[in-house]
Amino acid sequence: MSQSREQEFRLSAERGDTPLLPSERVWGFWGFAYANSALAVATWVFLIGGATALFVGPLQGISAIVIGNIIGVILAASSTCLPCGKYGVEQFTYLRSMFGINGSRLVYVLSVVVLTMGWLAVLGLMCGRALDNLETLVQHSQPDGDGWLVTAGALLAIVLAALVAMRGPDMIRRLSAVIAPSLILIMLALMYFISQRFSFAELLAMPPLQPPFADQRINFMIAVEINIAAGFSWWPYIGNLSRLCSNQRTAFWPNLVGIFGAAALGETVSLFAASTLGSSDPTAWMRLAGGVGFGVVALGFLALANLTGMVNILYTAVIGLRQLAGERLRSVRWGVLIGLFCVIPVLIVLCFPGIYDGFFIFLVWTSALNSALAGIGIADYFFLRQQRVNLRHVYATQGASPVRFCKGFNPIALLALVAGFAIYVVVFNPQTLANTSFFTFASASLPSCLLAGLVHYGLTRLLAVRLGWGGYSKGTERNIEAAGFGAKD
Amino acid sequence: MNSQVDVERAQDLDRRIRAYEELESRADWPGALSAGDFIALTLLTLVMVAGAYFLGGHP
Repeated sequence: MSQSREQEFRLSAERGDTPLLPSERVWGFWGFAYANSALAVATWVFLIGGATALFVGPLQGISAIVIGNIIGVILAASSTCLPCGKYGVEQFTYLRSMFGINGSRLVYVLSVVVLTMGWLAVLGLMCGRALDNLETLVQHSQPDGDGWLVTAGALLAIVLAALVAMRGPDMIRRLSAVIAPSLILIMLALMYFISQRFSFAELLAMPPLQPPFADQRINFMIAVEINIAAGFSWWPYIGNLSRLCSNQRTAFWPNLVGIFGAAALGETVSLFAASTLGSSDPTAWMRLAGGVGFGVVALGFLALANLTGMVNILYTAVIGLRQLAGERLRSVRWGVLIGLFCVIPVLIVLCFPGIYDGFFIFLVWTSALNSALAGIGIADYFFLRQQRVNLRHVYATQGASPVRFCKGFNPIALLALVAGFAIYVVVFNPQTLANTSFFTFASASLPSCLLAGLVHYGLTRLLAVRLGWGGYSKGTERNIEAAGFGAKD
Repeated sequence: MNSQVDVERAQDLDRRIRAYEELESRADWPGALSAGDFIALTLLTLVMVAGAYFLGGHP
């Protein structure tokens, strides 16, 4: 094989077409920990910390941030980083083994496309709010809520993000390298301004901004649920990062440094800022915290950081969509695909600008899906496959593979997904915040994760093994074929 | 039907899968999470959740 061909196949493996070999992986422990932290410290930590402050004061808020994030991150990482970090396989290609080839495409649309469209609208509106607060600072006027400047700023941000994504990721990669350190500087400055006004004891004693229930246990559990949702929101992304790590251990533990540790610190600073400045909107803190000079610089950085984040998630989502959707979508021009992808975020900005202030509702809805996906992933990888994945089945063409299930969909995994989603909404409705007493001690994500996993495990043992779906081994014995030996189909 | 590139691509995929099959056939997989990792993870989670709850979250 020629050297250029080898290079081409290696690039192809990096893009996710084939498994990356251990020798080809680029990240050690600290490399992944840094990349993971840079991903975590973005403008979304401001929003999550601000949303937590709506329900609880800082003391309970810190507790909710720690409890929610550790649970969400560990469950999300266990179901994605462990298999992807072990086999170097692309996350949604790996998902074929539990959802089928078409089922994994459906999961991609539900978890990545919908999530990205929502985030594009939220981050775009944050750019708009930053512009509005800048105008307020400079002209000494009142902020305009969801006025024309906010809408125009949001639309401009989406158009700019689309234009940059159309041109490719090089410029944005360079920008991304300076965004995380800049946001850390802004957080340190925020903490400095806050500490000038309040003692630590005063800070911890601050009341919540808008607690919706008289019962503190419910408010606390909603705050925990928001943070579990924040942890779970990494589910669609971290598998594909972990496959770049040198081994399974390196693919797992740095998540506790980055998307748990760094995110929890950033959210705690945001919680303090929201509680002391009386608003859950990060753009308002920058205006109120440290005078005109700090306000202008911080709001400018905030807008830039949002734009960078928007381009990153837009580019990643459309690349993945092309990869999974097949030839028909690959033939559509890149620019047209990006433009079409942005239509729904634009409509959300125009028709539902309230998604920004009610951001946590959107976040918690995604958790109803992600928690069930994590439950199915854990049941499948640990209990059904006993941590052994047959890569020949995963990469075989649909007609020849046991993971074709039923016309490319695994009805069992999809039923488990529906069951997990349904129990979540029954226990806690993200839209209305209506909840059962069970919610106050069990949350909604944990029952959803558990039920989805149990349904997937039970029905797979009962039906899939008998029908020959998925290449699962019979009983608990380790099937040589499931481990990959001799399976040359 | 298959061009030379397709054949080479299939060979490359086979080579990669075989590398993992060889790893799987060994008694130990380098860098795999061990029982010690899982115990440490469980303890860490319990300590964090219980500690955070009793220190600050108890409503």
